[in-house]
Amino acid sequence: MSDYRIKADHLVKTFTRNEKKNRKVDINAVDGISISVKEKEIVGILGPNGAGKTTLLRMLSKLMKPTSGMVSIRLGEKEISDDIEVKRHIGYLSNNTKLYGRLSCRELLQMLGVLYGMSETDTKEKIEEISKVLSMESFMDNRIEKLSTGQTQRASIARCLVHDPQVYIFDEPTLGLDILSSAAIVDFMKAERERGKTILYSTHYMEEAEYLCDRIIMIHQGRIISEGTPAQLKTRTGTENLRDVFRELIEREGIADEH
Amino acid sequence: MNTKILWTLIKKELLDVFRDKKTVIMMLVVPIILYPLIFVGAMQVVAMISSNMEEQNYRIAVEAEDDGAFVHKLMEKSAENADAEEGDAYTLTVYDAWSMDSEPDFMAQLGEESIDVYVTGEVRDGKMEYDVYYLSSVTNSVYARDIVTDIFDDFRKEMTEEKIRQAGLDVHEILEPVVYETNDTASNEQSLGSIIGSILPFMLIVSLLMGTMYPAIDTTAGERERGTLETILTLPVTNRQLIVSKFITVASIGIISALLNILSMSGIAFYVYQIMDLETGTQSFDIIRFVPAILVCILSIFAFSLFISAVTMCVTSFAKSYKEANNYITPLMLAVMFIGYIGFIPNIEFTQTMAMVPVANICMLIKNILVFKIDYASIALVLLSNVAYAVIAILFLSRIYDSESILFGDGKGGVQLLEKRSNLKKGGVPTLSDVALVIALTIVLTLYAGSILQIKFGLAGVFGTQMILLLVPLFVVLYTKKDVFLTYGFVKTGVKGYIGGIFMILGLIMLNLVISVGLVYLFPDSAENVNTAFSAFWDNSIWESLLVIALAPAVCEEMLFRGMIFHSMKARYRISKAVIAVGVIFGLYHMSIVKFIPTGLLGIVLCYVVYKTGSIFPAMMMHFINNAFSVLISYYPQQIGEIFPIMMQETFSVSDILLLLGAGLILLGIGLLFLKNKQGMNNAKKSDKKETA
Repeated sequence: MSDYRIKADHLVKTFTRNEKKNRKVDINAVDGISISVKEKEIVGILGPNGAGKTTLLRMLSKLMKPTSGMVSIRLGEKEISDDIEVKRHIGYLSNNTKLYGRLSCRELLQMLGVLYGMSETDTKEKIEEISKVLSMESFMDNRIEKLSTGQTQRASIARCLVHDPQVYIFDEPTLGLDILSSAAIVDFMKAERERGKTILYSTHYMEEAEYLCDRIIMIHQGRIISEGTPAQLKTRTGTENLRDVFRELIEREGIADEH
Repeated sequence: MNTKILWTLIKKELLDVFRDKKTVIMMLVVPIILYPLIFVGAMQVVAMISSNMEEQNYRIAVEAEDDGAFVHKLMEKSAENADAEEGDAYTLTVYDAWSMDSEPDFMAQLGEESIDVYVTGEVRDGKMEYDVYYLSSVTNSVYARDIVTDIFDDFRKEMTEEKIRQAGLDVHEILEPVVYETNDTASNEQSLGSIIGSILPFMLIVSLLMGTMYPAIDTTAGERERGTLETILTLPVTNRQLIVSKFITVASIGIISALLNILSMSGIAFYVYQIMDLETGTQSFDIIRFVPAILVCILSIFAFSLFISAVTMCVTSFAKSYKEANNYITPLMLAVMFIGYIGFIPNIEFTQTMAMVPVANICMLIKNILVFKIDYASIALVLLSNVAYAVIAILFLSRIYDSESILFGDGKGGVQLLEKRSNLKKGGVPTLSDVALVIALTIVLTLYAGSILQIKFGLAGVFGTQMILLLVPLFVVLYTKKDVFLTYGFVKTGVKGYIGGIFMILGLIMLNLVISVGLVYLFPDSAENVNTAFSAFWDNSIWESLLVIALAPAVCEEMLFRGMIFHSMKARYRISKAVIAVGVIFGLYHMSIVKFIPTGLLGIVLCYVVYKTGSIFPAMMMHFINNAFSVLISYYPQQIGEIFPIMMQETFSVSDILLLLGAGLILLGIGLLFLKNKQGMNNAKKSDKKETA
């Protein structure tokens, strides 16, 4: 597949754990995963807890260095694999990416603009635009620690938007949100896809994935166990919905996960 | 571009830190409000005490067979002091037992504090002898006693003069055959400098430490706790930029708070000086003379703030929360303050070596510069060494920020000693952080307690030092619920291990003999020290010496170095790294240039034997043989000389050296053959089974 926006080749991430008795055990949290996502595509990463989703997404967004394998993105004819350069074109959001509570939204976004190498006027314009799109006008100058959960989530999304990235990588973006807030995020992702953006995200909500994703990648114990459109997966396993696809595939792997 | 990113990051950190109330309070309130408040409070207390003194009345009971002579003296003194200068005035109420009708129990009254002092006097052998009873626990009683003794001194002087006069001699000539007067030739600036120099360094160090502590925690552990670390890692910013920006932030806050502290303190000092000037009008200082000192102080503040910020950040980066960071920083704080006390100790020479010791060097530099002992080499050395240590710490810091297990990990492997005991899991070996703490603790303890013990109790003190080495680590192992057998390698091993061990240690003794000769040649001074230190124990019997110098270290040092330290290192690092590290630590522990290489080698060989046999016991035996050998040599030099003439020679010929080297290497080789098959694996498995059973 040469037509890609972000691509991962045989990603492996090995963690060395000190098991009981001074014996070291190497665990491949991600064990040779290759992924390629096009523009205008939403790909969902599904898998049980501990399957390696977070590690995979962290490597894709260059937060973690893979033990082996490579991540690169393509913009036009240009292929980029340098860590810092790739980061410029990625908007990464997870439950661990909290915001600086003592700064106001505007201060945070302005700072990010400079760090992403944008000019001051560009940043200002972008902030105005984001502020309108996410209807953040009322709390733009408030300190982030004083915002409500929904407002904080919008500020987090604003953080990913400032530099107008081509690729979004979201790790469980709707976890623990109420229906309205998570619907807003789903709508946001759909809108961004229409704007030609590439989105990779992990979730535990099967209905949401079925509704949103162009393609789904199921991973288990660091490996891809199945990949395809929601419809393809259902016919392949002979089941009715994604929830059953998930269970069927995991059971086929022969290991029932305790989660 | 680069500076723009750096500046933005710094701006963000500063904004973030300054919006934290705790930091601002620590930084501003302490110097600007607390110091003046303390000062005003102290003035108030002093004023209260002096006003209290004005109305002071001391009650003195007298029961003396001197016809009222002493009572008379007391009355005189009382009248004299009733209208003395402000603050010094007091009156005396005198109860004379002879002029009273009843006979009160003055002793009991003294106990009830209804009188302050009770004086008795009787004639013994034709001489007046007085006894003064007072309560050292009551302030007024002590003051009253001082008044009484002063009177006695006057009384005695008068009597003496009287007697001399009666004998027809010249009073002045007899009482003061020699006259002297002391004259202070130090300039006013010098005496002021020495006063400031003993306090200022400590104040500076503590204020810098306090100033940097909060921002250091906030930018490292605080960032992790608030979950913004992962956010900042998504940015197109290098780790180096991140660390440098955090470091600059912390260091500059440290500098600001130190400057505020100094400003506030000097404000108070200036105020006091003004008052003194108004009151006495005699002391005058030429402030210009202090300009170089002030400049050096400011440079020192800059250098030290770089150093202390980098070090505190290194410590706090391991913590995942504020609370944990506070735990980690407390020992650091104590250590820094402890070293900082050096400024208060008089007569410490500021040597070139001292100029490289962190914290102590800043204290000594400021102290010296304030008494105008300016030495440009030392100034440069102190400033440069602080900057160098800061750079090393920052390099270390960037390694931490490159380590994903620390950034994303759950923070396991930290200092378990500071965690709640109920949270700790049973089994395994101590974490490296705990071991590092144990090494630091035992070194400090053996340095201080050990040397006191050795000076006071000689050989028994050495035994006590060994007990410190045994008990401190053992406590940590037991407290953190570690597996004692695994940690110390208390595992049975075959006879092969012991035979191999004997060959190896004999070989090593020969090799070390050659090495020692070379080292003694290179460092004759330190070699002499080693010899004299050893001969101090010759008064004891050989059995005592064998017990203390050979057996105790064989058990205690082995348990610490080849047991705890080696096994916890083995759990984390490759075996070669662990063996060499233990050797180096063991060598350093002996704290002598001459001993470093031989003991380091010994440490490595012993470690290797523990690794191969899986047991500590052969190593204990080897250590005993090694130490017993040196004890025997010092007790029976002649007999040893007859058996091994080569050992006792003063100088070695080339052929001797070759012979020793060859024999040593052959013995080591034979020993290695015996240890070829690793027995540790089988034993480890066996002990596994034991536990599961």
